[in-house]
Amino acid sequence: MGDAAPILAAHDVHRTYRFGQVEVPVLRGASIAIGRGEWVAILGQSGSGKSTLMHLLGGLDRPDAGRGTIEFEGRTVNLGAGRSLDRYRNRDVGFVFQFYHLLPELSVLENACLPGLVGGWFGHARAAAARRRAGELLEQAGLSHRLRHRPAELSGGERQRVAIARALVNGPRVLLADEPTGNLDATTGASILDLIAAQHAEGLTVAMVTHDASVAARAQRVVQLRDGQVVDG
Amino acid sequence: MYAALLSNRYLTSRVIPLIAVGAVALCVALVIIVVSVMSGFLDMLKASGRTLIGDVIVSSGIGGIPHYDEWLTDLRALPEVEEATPVIDTLGLLRMPYPSGPSKEIAPVQVWAIEPASFARVTAYGDKVWWRPPADEDARNAMLPDDPRLLMDESILRDGLTLSQGATGKPGIVMGMHVSVGNARQSDGSYRPRFGWFMPGEEVTLTVVPVSESGKISEPRDATFPIVNEVFSGVYDVDKSRVFIPLAQAQQLLRLDAAPLYDTTAEPDAEGNLPLLGTTPARVTKVLIRAKPGIDALVARDAVEASWDAFVAKAARRSDRLGRPPERVSILTWEQQLRDLIGPVEKEREMMRILFSIIYIVCAGLILSIFWSIVIEKTRDIGILRSVGASRLGILWIFLRYGLAIGVVGSLAGVGIAWVVVDNINLIHEAIGRDAPRAAWITTCALAAISLAMALRSLLWRGRLLPGLLWTIATVTLAVVTLALIGHRGTLIWDPSVYYFSRIPSQVDWFNAAITVGGGIVFSVIGAAIPAAKAADVDPVEALRYG
Ligand SMILES: Nc1ncnc2c1ncn2[C@@H]1O[C@H](COP(=O)(O)OP(=O)(O)OP(=O)(O)O)[C@@H](O)[C@H]1O
Ligand SMILES: [Mg+2]
Repeated sequence: MGDAAPILAAHDVHRTYRFGQVEVPVLRGASIAIGRGEWVAILGQSGSGKSTLMHLLGGLDRPDAGRGTIEFEGRTVNLGAGRSLDRYRNRDVGFVFQFYHLLPELSVLENACLPGLVGGWFGHARAAAARRRAGELLEQAGLSHRLRHRPAELSGGERQRVAIARALVNGPRVLLADEPTGNLDATTGASILDLIAAQHAEGLTVAMVTHDASVAARAQRVVQLRDGQVVDG
Repeated sequence: MYAALLSNRYLTSRVIPLIAVGAVALCVALVIIVVSVMSGFLDMLKASGRTLIGDVIVSSGIGGIPHYDEWLTDLRALPEVEEATPVIDTLGLLRMPYPSGPSKEIAPVQVWAIEPASFARVTAYGDKVWWRPPADEDARNAMLPDDPRLLMDESILRDGLTLSQGATGKPGIVMGMHVSVGNARQSDGSYRPRFGWFMPGEEVTLTVVPVSESGKISEPRDATFPIVNEVFSGVYDVDKSRVFIPLAQAQQLLRLDAAPLYDTTAEPDAEGNLPLLGTTPARVTKVLIRAKPGIDALVARDAVEASWDAFVAKAARRSDRLGRPPERVSILTWEQQLRDLIGPVEKEREMMRILFSIIYIVCAGLILSIFWSIVIEKTRDIGILRSVGASRLGILWIFLRYGLAIGVVGSLAGVGIAWVVVDNINLIHEAIGRDAPRAAWITTCALAAISLAMALRSLLWRGRLLPGLLWTIATVTLAVVTLALIGHRGTLIWDPSVYYFSRIPSQVDWFNAAITVGGGIVFSVIGAAIPAAKAADVDPVEALRYG
């Protein structure tokens, strides 16, 4: 378990999808507490609701009304107005997806800067800072020679590195990664995990969804999502 | 920040928005061109309508204005008034010097009896007398070699300006350019005698009907005048029917001159004479006034009205003479007077503006559909932006900015196009009026051949359908243009020998242009707003799920 004051936690969250009359409860009272500096792997069958849980944790989605809370550093994030959630997504957490999700019209550097450009109309200073930090992160990821390239010109592994740089550019405390290696071969996947591990070593909290037991093995703790609830596994 | 970055990228990374820019540009250009030309015509119409009436027009009823010379003195003393001139306005029949069937042609005319010297100071009459020698070398060079004016001397102009035949000393008549059918308008807007019927020097007989002060119609009376010149005002209705004769002759003909008045109710004296009551004063039916430079016509009108009231009051106190001015006369500014002429054209311009404004909606619809498909295509990207913290307003702004950019660039390009076209509209018109130069259709023919080759290359050799189709469309278009150029026989759309203005107005109406640009921008943004709102409503999770 995480320590007494988790950095990010879900308390008894429910998330139900609706198809007309039919309700499909995906999360049914899921709770998880992620400790500061912890690396948690979330396993589960396909369709068990792992991505749904990650979206809730990342502030991309909200639990069913009144049924569960997401807390970041003791603060409930899913209650406030849309703006506070925008801010949460921008500053407090970084999200990495299975399919990279880079913007095709922007260069590698611009993609990595993006969260630094968002929020604030007159953020020239922030933009410059983001540019510097993105440069550093891309260098760590071994992509300094690719800064002006478009995502379409990169391999899958390279794209995922850019996505990680983007997730970290605003210096979030938590990295949420939904199957970051799901689309990559084992070697490339391992190098991505190395990159995450390096950040983790510097104090980043990581929550990662995976199917792969060998990937889960890199985490400090593994939980399972079963029947809409989180169980230790 | 990112909104600017992304909307610039979206704008520069695809071709379709350029079509929207082009559409906005063409719409804006079209509206500006049409409205500018119409405004130009309206200005010309106003200017020509004004040429023969001065700034303020006072018209009385049939009884006329007695003691008008006293009022003219009052008027001339007003600080707002530059000059005033008396006019009698009546209808008449003119027996023309040329035949119509077995007899001479009779033309109904509107007779204006004027004092030429003061009339020329109130109106532009002096400039509008047509037959005159060229004023200088430039004017001489501008005339076609067969223009009869090249052979004229100053005497004909002098006769026109004084309404008298210099050679005989007879009072003369000046006719509107189209009163006689003898004047054939040429494509440069000048005139040649038709069938050799050159009017100046011929004689016409004018028949008018005197109407007494009480409205009783007397026997028609006629008089013969030598035609001394003709006048071109630029308003067809005027040039078709107006003739000018000297005021004194008209007063006699119409019994509006000063005359002794006898008491017909009394018994005649021993010699059979009736007792004399006094003298009825000479009268006119109109007074035209020119305002001092810089004085607004409306201001001058009010001054004239005050002066009229004073004149009526003063005349009422004079019991020692005959002739009371009427209480009411119509006092109008030139614009009010020309309402019937200008009004319809102004309405037409408004109609045009409204009709053409519909193309804004087409623009907005075009932008809407282009943006709608971009938003759908970019749904995943919008989800990404939302996932890194972009707000809904931020997303909205990306697309609004994008629409704004298209609106601004398109509208300004439209102004540019309109400016070039309007500025050169007479050249363009003349080019249309000539046969197409051989080089033009040879060029398009060659281009058609090239694009045909490209089409065949794409379709047959490389097996690519889209470029093949585009090249085929280009080939067909160029072929049609080539045929049209070969077949084109110069037709002047705006033939000055038929229409009344010899040049198309070529001034951009900048005020309207500014409004049009504003409209173009607003409608582009409206067109963009709907897809932008859709984009702002994109649910990030949904958007990323189907990425
Ligand atoms: N927007 C939605 N509308 C309806 N049903 C949804 C929606 N999103 C997810 N679901 C359903 O919720 C369930 C959980 O989906 P989720 O994507 O969280 O699964 P997952 O554990 O991430 O699966 P995978 O390992 O395949 O990624 C699935 O049955 C899915 O069909
Ligand atoms: Mg998933």
